[in-house]
Amino acid sequence: MPRYILSRLALAFVMALLATLVIFLLANTVPGDPVLAQLGDLAASNKEFVAEWRAKWGLDLPLWQRYVIFLQRLFQGDLGISISSQRPVLQDIRDFAPATLELASIAFLLALAVGIPLGIMAAVRRDSWIDHLARLISLIGVSSPTFWLAFIMLAFFYGGLQIAPGPGRIDAIALPPPSVTGLYLIDSALAGDWATFHDAAAHLILPSIVLAAATLGLITRTTRASMLESMQQDYVRVARAKGIRERRIVIGHILPNALIPVVTLGGLAYANLLTGAVLTETIFSWPGLGRYTFRSAVSLDFPAIMGITLIVAVVYLIINLLIDISYALLDPRVVR
Amino acid sequence: MTDRLGWIDRRRLVQLLGAGGGAIAAGLPAQVFAQARKNTLVLGIDISDTITLDPARLAQYTSPMTVSAAYDSLVTMKPGEYINVAPSLATKWARTPDGKGWRFTLRDGVKFSTGNVMTVEDVKWSFDRVINLGDQPSQYIAHVDRVEIVDKSTIDIILKQPAEPLLTIIAAPEFVVLERKVAEANGATAAKDAKTADKAAAWINSNSCGTGAYRIAAWERNQQIQLVRNEHYWGGKPPFERIVIRHISDGAAQLLAVRRGDIDAAFNLIPEQIAALKTEPNVRLAPLASLDFVYMALTQEPEFNKALAVKEARQAIGYAIDYDGIVKSMLGGAALRPAHYLPIGVSGSTEEIARQIGFKQDLAKAKELLAKAGFPNGFEFEIIYGNAAVQGVTYQDLGLKIQSDVARVGIKANLRPVDQVNLRTEYTTGKAKGGVLTFWNPPAVENQLWAAAVVQRVAKRVHWDPPENIVKLVSQAATETDAKKQHDLWVEWQKLVVDQANHFVLFQPVYQIAVRNTIKDFPLTAAGWMLDLHGVTPAGG
Repeated sequence: MPRYILSRLALAFVMALLATLVIFLLANTVPGDPVLAQLGDLAASNKEFVAEWRAKWGLDLPLWQRYVIFLQRLFQGDLGISISSQRPVLQDIRDFAPATLELASIAFLLALAVGIPLGIMAAVRRDSWIDHLARLISLIGVSSPTFWLAFIMLAFFYGGLQIAPGPGRIDAIALPPPSVTGLYLIDSALAGDWATFHDAAAHLILPSIVLAAATLGLITRTTRASMLESMQQDYVRVARAKGIRERRIVIGHILPNALIPVVTLGGLAYANLLTGAVLTETIFSWPGLGRYTFRSAVSLDFPAIMGITLIVAVVYLIINLLIDISYALLDPRVVR
Repeated sequence: MTDRLGWIDRRRLVQLLGAGGGAIAAGLPAQVFAQARKNTLVLGIDISDTITLDPARLAQYTSPMTVSAAYDSLVTMKPGEYINVAPSLATKWARTPDGKGWRFTLRDGVKFSTGNVMTVEDVKWSFDRVINLGDQPSQYIAHVDRVEIVDKSTIDIILKQPAEPLLTIIAAPEFVVLERKVAEANGATAAKDAKTADKAAAWINSNSCGTGAYRIAAWERNQQIQLVRNEHYWGGKPPFERIVIRHISDGAAQLLAVRRGDIDAAFNLIPEQIAALKTEPNVRLAPLASLDFVYMALTQEPEFNKALAVKEARQAIGYAIDYDGIVKSMLGGAALRPAHYLPIGVSGSTEEIARQIGFKQDLAKAKELLAKAGFPNGFEFEIIYGNAAVQGVTYQDLGLKIQSDVARVGIKANLRPVDQVNLRTEYTTGKAKGGVLTFWNPPAVENQLWAAAVVQRVAKRVHWDPPENIVKLVSQAATETDAKKQHDLWVEWQKLVVDQANHFVLFQPVYQIAVRNTIKDFPLTAAGWMLDLHGVTPAGG
């Protein structure tokens, strides 16, 4: 097992580098000039000024040389300076990643906590009203456009009923907890500041429901389908013939087998939540990586784009690795 | 089979499903912040463009508001008055005796937020830093030769070209006074090598060292900027203990927040959202007549488009566009329209003048001009625009409107949306092959900044080689000291560039800011920093 993990990690490293190369080449086919996008009108027309700025970001060098510099810096743990924020990319990512991590994790837990039981019940009581309800919920979750759902939630619970807080991570006049992890829930708990903890938790509810919606639908459907398939297996009939209680059959025999595809899907869905929350982040003014990614892409901010590519690649590769390891835990046969 | 598996009862199911709903109820925001809210001003605005709060590096749209609250310049502009400057850190100014620059008398007893007294050295150091940092603001005072201390309350700014305008430019928040000692202690330098030696960015982005009414206390990117009261402010005790400039990127969310009172003002509402507020008793709409404008630039390069190379053909486009329709139906009347690059409100530009000398829709005249240009059956040209909106009107919609307008005289406009970076690249490098729809606002309220742009860099972009008389007129008007004569010169200049027909200004937005009635004074300004934060006061306070 350790050897397996090591070889997978080495492969992951190569894959992540390949991903940066692909993105580097792709981003450079766009004809715009990122420096012009950053400069005011007067400066953008001043040839010397533009040349100086291009040199500052190494944009005047040949393409291959720029990639080599990127790699050199990378091995020193430096992702370069973002053109649009004019700060180290690593610092930007450190600032914005916790907000996304917190939101995506809560959304993912929510999707699991609701989706898996719902899927199980839908399968166990197939064609009953629970099954229909589960189908309806998944359908709404999967098919609602995120920006629409986000706004409806905000308008209804924040604007209308006034039981949920508005956009942002905390109340407009609250101060963020002293930064340790950047995750407000953990930081405020560490500081013993329960008012802020409560405030941060409340601000997480609506965006995490919106973000969880699509994943919830997928997980419910997958759990249900996988459960139904497992229920037809011989060992279930054997167990039943032995007179084992239904509850034990479902939880002890069917569920572990049915969970394998759910784990695969869940892992990928989590990676997806971590890297693709642009719309939710926009409507809820969530200071996360999604917005940063979007802005970097539209302003052709090469260093930021490369940094994010690397992070996204690493997130996917690690999660894939974890999925594979969890197979081994769920199904001993996988380990050779 | 399903019937036999009856171990999940209805109650447990409801409990499970209700977990989500219960979580919402648990999240009821307690009114723990009610007391703090009374002493805090909260503004809801999209500040995603703010990348620096260093005055000497400013080049964005929203950051000047924060900087102008924390720092003061020598002179300023009062809301609504965009021709003459008003005293701020300087109480008096006049030409230097030799006529080569301006002499400023500093206000007595001004203190920084640290409590230290502002000195003439601080003023000189601050200007030197702008110049030696060589970032974008330095270009606007490129005609400043040096700053000289005369005595402990008098300072001279000596110009390379003594007649060039200065006061209106240094009223901008780029040219404010920093406390030298504090700034230097945190990595700033004004020395010749400041370009590489200045390391103040990290500190100056989350703190401030100015004389302004408030002090910057924190900036969490894409979240909020926190300001606290400057107890030593020279203009009297500022009314709010704290100001929070809260980043809310979405207009609809701003609308909800201002209605609920979570924010005191919402800055980025589109016309439909503004209409929704008309019946709201606790919120009023404050107009901000900006000096920004949206325009279409038109190339005259014959290699790109033979028709556009002919002045009459370009003029035909100018007479075909339904400007009133754009202002009235697309913007609900919340906009002005100047004749050319000088927005309504500055010297030589009023609504009356714009009506007299600007283009207006006249289809018969457009057809006549087309015939004269040798294209009686019209011609084709391309319009490029970015994926963005001003005041809720997208460039796409503007493009469609112009397309249908010019079609009425037989001109075919081909619309080509491009991303913002490409648009800027094509336009600034003179590669745009037809029309370009875009937006501009200069960093300071000085006619020359607009006018010089037209005859210099913007002329290059449309491949126009402006004749000597038009170029000369700009410096003549900018350096004219008699207000009436200056006004007439600017009118004269506008007539010439309107006739040239390379730029059609479509509208000058009048932004509508939603303000809660818990706020009394809310002095919005078009001078470049949107709001005089030091002048905002609570109602009944």
